[in-house]
Amino acid sequence: MTAAHSDPIHSQSDHIRRAVSDRAKRPLTVKVMDWVRDRPEGGIAVMFVLVQLCCIIGALLFPESFRYLLPANLSVLLKSIAVPGIMALGVGVLMVAGEYDLSVGAVYSLLSIVCANLANAMLGDIGMDPHSALAPFAAMAVALTLGVAIGLLHAFVTLRFNIPSFITTLGGMLLWKGTTLLVHGASALRFKPTEPFATLFGGGLGIIHASMIWFLAFALLFYFLLHHHRLGNHFYAVGGNRNAAVAIGINPNRTKAIAFAIAGFMAALSGVIAATRVGSIQPGGGLGMELQTIAACVIGGFALNGGRGSILGIVLGTALVFTIQDVLLLLRAPAFYFDMFVGALIVIAVVMNTAIRRGRA
Amino acid sequence: MTVHTEPLRPAGLAGHPGAGLVPTETPLYEMRNICKRYGSFTALDNMNFHIGRNEVVGLLGDNGAGKSTLVKMISGINPPTSGEIYVNGKRTEIRNRSDSEAAGIETIYQDIALVDSMSITRNIFLGRELVNRWGFMDHRRMQEVAIQILGSAVQISGIDNPDKEVGFLSGGQKQAVAIARAVHFKRNILLLDEPTSALSVRETEHLLAYVRDLKREGTSSVLVTHNLYHAFQVCDRFVVMSHGTKVFEARKEDTTIEEVTDHVIRT
Ligand SMILES: Nc1ncnc2c1ncn2[C@@H]1O[C@H](COP(=O)(O)OP(=O)(O)O)[C@@H](O)[C@H]1O
Ligand SMILES: [Mg+2]
Repeated sequence: MTAAHSDPIHSQSDHIRRAVSDRAKRPLTVKVMDWVRDRPEGGIAVMFVLVQLCCIIGALLFPESFRYLLPANLSVLLKSIAVPGIMALGVGVLMVAGEYDLSVGAVYSLLSIVCANLANAMLGDIGMDPHSALAPFAAMAVALTLGVAIGLLHAFVTLRFNIPSFITTLGGMLLWKGTTLLVHGASALRFKPTEPFATLFGGGLGIIHASMIWFLAFALLFYFLLHHHRLGNHFYAVGGNRNAAVAIGINPNRTKAIAFAIAGFMAALSGVIAATRVGSIQPGGGLGMELQTIAACVIGGFALNGGRGSILGIVLGTALVFTIQDVLLLLRAPAFYFDMFVGALIVIAVVMNTAIRRGRA
Repeated sequence: MTVHTEPLRPAGLAGHPGAGLVPTETPLYEMRNICKRYGSFTALDNMNFHIGRNEVVGLLGDNGAGKSTLVKMISGINPPTSGEIYVNGKRTEIRNRSDSEAAGIETIYQDIALVDSMSITRNIFLGRELVNRWGFMDHRRMQEVAIQILGSAVQISGIDNPDKEVGFLSGGQKQAVAIARAVHFKRNILLLDEPTSALSVRETEHLLAYVRDLKREGTSSVLVTHNLYHAFQVCDRFVVMSHGTKVFEARKEDTTIEEVTDHVIRT
């Protein structure tokens, strides 16, 4: 800018600077209130805190009948959050980039079976003599690589032929489910890996299972990737407005392909970690997880058409869904109540987010 | 038809449609015999167009004339079906945004090209994030620069939070953010496709004054507008388009607002 116009510039910039520093000086309560209202995951954060408070108060009032706070229950609860949470991280990143993956459940089953079979073939079972400490790691590396490859295949078909990823990955879901039955059949498969693999992915610290530690570690990693890395910024851009991203020089196909690869990787990882935790694999075990993880993301504030969502939203969404499952189990409610609650929760979360957004727009 | 004095050669539009004025010195940017087809529809037909040094070109014409198509072609996101492009006299392929960025071209698109779900700061730095060597963004520095450039070019009313989502801004505020972004990163050529359609009178005056300043600093511009008074305030040359071809071209000193108006209306 030239000297002739420099005065108003500074007043304008100073005005913004002043407003920014004023906002930084808001009292903490106001900041929290504003955060809840401004962030897509704000509503769900409030709901999560309320549900936890109710559970804790209930457990304190009726310690005999509602055993929420018993370490055994907390341990089960954390375990139940971890595996779908790991999968949801990948699903969520892909949703931010404006695409879906309906095949993650099938990929989870297929690649955990591939991992177990490979590990067992390489003497990676703890019961074998002699056994190999490295075998499970090698098998896992293959499974994770295949996860990335499957994600890239979905990306290629979706982007090359310009079709909705909903269709590509719906096809993928059936394809990989069929592949699982083809290569393995419908019987359960033993997976008792050797040390140190077993401890690394199946051990734990007190009531915190290793899978939960992995979930939190990946959540932290993805937080930095999605919210602070250039690549994450590009995920939001291609998901939020593909044409604008192109106009500004971002390659949408490359960016989306990376997101598909991440979803495939995380599906494979969650499969291997679940198999290690349980010690055996049911070929149909991943069934329904694709919708559960999408539900968790939507509950956590993700937009179905992309460009909106956060890692905190994934963590809170998953945690809320499985807290409800845990409470229903504690109350000995039949399993179908879980589906009913999650169904209602999805609709409520979206209605709430839309209402908040409309109120601000 | 106008008769041009030296050093410009006569346009001869009747004989060679789309030929127009021939540049006297090597232009910053030139397109020759450009065609653009969308399926069977021809959006640009044998178009010649150039941008000189220290020049503001007014690109005029009715809706659907092909102005935005031309602008998007210069900015690389809409490559030509056939024809040649020269940058500084050198034959150049400009087929995507990276090519045009290398040529120092910035664009304010008519359809804004902002991501509604992202903040003002993130939109301004989209694709050009300030990052450390591992690719992590420096949010503090980006915010500070964003605040600085929001204060330049147009004095945007009512923006006081660079973290605000663009989707919650008014039309004029969005346009102002798009302007601020292009203005900050411009080097050789700034393309403005109907940039003032949502701006207030004060903001418009400010932007036009800014375009004049830019010329003095060595950045040429192309201004697409329906407002001939704005065009006459800042432009050195006028190009009128109709149905994908150039129908009139004249330097400001060789024409009048009435004549240009006449060509825009008649064709
Ligand atoms: N992607 C496209 N596909 C088909 N036709 C298009 C496309 N983009 C523009 N057009 C057509 O090209 C013509 C010129 O459009 P445009 O350059 O936007 O006009 P202007 O900006 O002068 O109003 C219009 O008739 C428009 O319908
Ligand atoms: Mg236009």
